[in-house]
Amino acid sequence: MRKSMEKSRPVQKTVVLEPFIKLVKLIARAFYDDYTTKSDNQQKSAKSDNRGIAVVVLDELARRQWVREEDLAKALKLHGKQLRKIIRHFEEQGLIVRDHRKETAKNAKMYSAAVAATTDSRAEDKVKLHTHSYCRLDYSQTTLSLLIYDLVRYKLHLMKKKLRDNLEDKNTVQEYACPNCQRKYNALDALRLISMEDDCFHCENCNSELIVECNKLTPEEVIDGDDNGRRRQQEKLKDMLQKMEVQMKPLMDQINRVKDLPIPDFGSLLAWEARAALAARENGDFNPNDPSRSQGGYGSTPMPFLGETQVEVNLGEGKEDVKSNGGDSSLKVLPPWMIKEGMKLTEEQRGEMRQEANDGGSGEASKMSDDKKSVMENGDDKDLKACLLLLGTFVPDEYLKAYYAALLKQKQQELAEAANQQESAGELASDIQSASTTSVRRVGMKAKLEEEDEEDVEWEEEAPVPANGNYKVDLNVEAEASGGEEEEEDIDWEEG
Amino acid sequence: MFFHIVLERNMQLHPRFFGRNLRENLVSKLMKDVEGTCSGRHGFVVAITGIESIGSGLIRDGTGFVTFPVKYQCVVFRPFKGEILEAVVTLVNKMGFFAEAGPVQIFVSNHLIPDDMEFQAGDMPNYTTSDSSVKIQKECEVRLKIIGTRVDATEIFCVGTIKDDFLGVINDPAAAA
Repeated sequence: MRKSMEKSRPVQKTVVLEPFIKLVKLIARAFYDDYTTKSDNQQKSAKSDNRGIAVVVLDELARRQWVREEDLAKALKLHGKQLRKIIRHFEEQGLIVRDHRKETAKNAKMYSAAVAATTDSRAEDKVKLHTHSYCRLDYSQTTLSLLIYDLVRYKLHLMKKKLRDNLEDKNTVQEYACPNCQRKYNALDALRLISMEDDCFHCENCNSELIVECNKLTPEEVIDGDDNGRRRQQEKLKDMLQKMEVQMKPLMDQINRVKDLPIPDFGSLLAWEARAALAARENGDFNPNDPSRSQGGYGSTPMPFLGETQVEVNLGEGKEDVKSNGGDSSLKVLPPWMIKEGMKLTEEQRGEMRQEANDGGSGEASKMSDDKKSVMENGDDKDLKACLLLLGTFVPDEYLKAYYAALLKQKQQELAEAANQQESAGELASDIQSASTTSVRRVGMKAKLEEEDEEDVEWEEEAPVPANGNYKVDLNVEAEASGGEEEEEDIDWEEG
Repeated sequence: MFFHIVLERNMQLHPRFFGRNLRENLVSKLMKDVEGTCSGRHGFVVAITGIESIGSGLIRDGTGFVTFPVKYQCVVFRPFKGEILEAVVTLVNKMGFFAEAGPVQIFVSNHLIPDDMEFQAGDMPNYTTSDSSVKIQKECEVRLKIIGTRVDATEIFCVGTIKDDFLGVINDPAAAA
């Protein structure tokens, strides 16, 4: 279990969500506020005008972690199909990740338990057992997807570059079009197009004289490409660039603020559920939804001493910790035994982290509305939309390539570590699922320990003794043992 | 950009060239075949500077022709995006002008000509500044920057710009005369 938490990387230590949520909200308003699910010709009637729907969806997603799409639809009072369309759009844009799985009673229970643990609300219990899709905002997923942060920076960079290039006429290959057959050419075709009769360009198809293709950014101008028009166009472009800079200012500010913060990572759906379940149990709040408790639904035999173990564990400072963070549901609580063993390090860190969270929370929350307004209010963001349209064809793949190239090295390193951790994490995750009771996990642990240091003979004697009295001792031993293990792993990390 | 590279080619030689001068014949045929051609990969072959090796010939069945694998050193010219070239203007029209830098043809469209130069139609079409101190017309030399290349298997064509610092007319024979 501890390993599976570490798998989500040092991030876990100081996840501060607020700035990211704010970033998402800004992005939603800047880029997606006139996204519609309708095609253009349908858009006319005011009734079916659903602009801004994407913003609502993103906002809601920012408030949650993993969410079943059905639940999301219900919460937003949206039709499932409509929502799915929007979500697919965001998935294409690399903003969210989805996970599909065949729903079983167990899974559903697990999910609702996790939801209950991370939020105040309770998930719907009666779920039809079909394939269900889950989605979450993708703040980071190191291997497969993009950082929202990087994605947006890249977008902004492209927009600016496009405008600048157009402004300075730099590196642009002139395009030509045939007025008759609409065929497009560019300057690289010039040699073939030039006609010996009048030194002008002629269409290869219909031999009519080609005209200079007007600039895409300002389509209403410059059809004949005369100088006046060009000059006017330049001014317009300059104007647009300035406007963009002003309008994007809050977004850029937020990006800069987020830059140095660790990235929230909820992990995969399974990992998230497991973690949430654990957190809930350590929270001490009795959760009837928790299947690992109410039923031995994971193929384990229910352990009679489970309750006592909980109490022992919670006697640590973990409980107060939980309370103080209680308001922030998204903050994951470290399991108390983990806090104990890493005490020298984490104590101060934990303190810092909480403070940071508070700072971010109060300060930025108040600013939030202002920023939002400034983004929304800026009068004619039509031009902005125009250049956003240019990026409509934005392909995440293209970005992925660039991004991967940069990450390749890092990934290779991580892969090695991941391989290490994967097996242990996988093992543990399955442990949690199949039997997320402490004692069984300990058995798994013990098996591992036996492999690692063979001298550990006491374990075999202790494990089958499920007496209450032993538990304190037991825990400590485990903590020490696993503490040692952690050190080993730390070394691994440094090496990698 | 120019490169000095080694290329290889299989030469077919007619039996009538066999004799004392076989090697000379082979080389002169190679020069005739290769110099001035253009490959998309290496660019224009400007000149052969030497023969590395001539392999053993292989007589073709039925024809009597002999195939020699020949390795030769040559100078090739390959234009690149971003490269600065000096070129001679060959044609001016209202769309821009064409220029040649050795074997490569370059087109500069009118929006990549500085804004203060205007097209003047007439007997000798040209681009002129408002104070007519600079004139781009046929035969004059310009320094330009390549912003795009189109590389086919046997052809290279470039698009250039003179809208940047230190680009433009470098020597105008008409003005000098």
